[in-house]
Amino acid sequence: MTSITLPTTENNTLPTVRERRYPPGDLAIWIFILAELAVFAIAFVGYAFARMYNVELFNEYQQQLDRRSALINTLVLITSSYFVVRAVHAIRGDNSRHCVRWLSAAMAMGGLFLFIKGAEFAHHFSHGINLSTNTFYMFYLSLTIFHFMHVIMAMIILAAITLKARRGGYSARDHRGVETGASYWHMVDLVWLILFPLVYVMH
Amino acid sequence: MHDEEPANDDLRTCTWVWLIMIGLTLITYFSDRLGWNDLGISLGVLLLALIKGHLVGAYFMELRHVRGLWRWPVTLWLFLPGSLISLAFFLAYSP
Repeated sequence: MTSITLPTTENNTLPTVRERRYPPGDLAIWIFILAELAVFAIAFVGYAFARMYNVELFNEYQQQLDRRSALINTLVLITSSYFVVRAVHAIRGDNSRHCVRWLSAAMAMGGLFLFIKGAEFAHHFSHGINLSTNTFYMFYLSLTIFHFMHVIMAMIILAAITLKARRGGYSARDHRGVETGASYWHMVDLVWLILFPLVYVMH
Repeated sequence: MHDEEPANDDLRTCTWVWLIMIGLTLITYFSDRLGWNDLGISLGVLLLALIKGHLVGAYFMELRHVRGLWRWPVTLWLFLPGSLISLAFFLAYSP
């Protein structure tokens, strides 16, 4: 006779309630996020290998960048991401008012990032620096302007979510839109976390 | 609607993650003062960046709660370019 051992709850590791099959938010945004990350990854690797053939040039012009502004911007983006985490947490607790507050704080940090970075770009352009100046500035401006545009896009998404949240459009049961916007915002933060050391610090 | 959202372990953990990332960013900024050579600094700050990226993916993007393939794209994204960037800086440093 064959004995069959039935699985029991004690012997098996059951998935916790919190575990999920897909990341938070709309799956379409994750396809978009992965495509964006792939583009940035290629650009980062391109920068590193272009530097390999122009080490002195890259090191010389990297010294001209405003590293302190980049540090502040990194702290600003990390903090904005944390605020977005708080917004998601708030709406999961069915607290639209706090969700709106945290999203607004995150957008304010995003605005601060754009202001600081915009001032940096204005400084470069006023000194006649552009994509054609040299290989370093070609990569530096391409990468940072491309990222800058992503911050603007992420702020537009957060603004749309904030407006809907203000109207009571999200709840503890239905807040996929907040999670979707949050995921995109974190992606923008994630890219900058690599961009900052690569372009401003590593030499 | 509640006045206060419920506090839980996840939020506390994310607060710690935020503070750790602030600390790692400051270390990155002041890395020149560590007295390491250029390659050591470059690879060191890259490693810190990859750790921060992993923290964002796992905790802020909540991928640590995801099972299966969707758990790994961000880690893979960090690992592949991270390896190639390290290689490029290593080769550039070699005589």
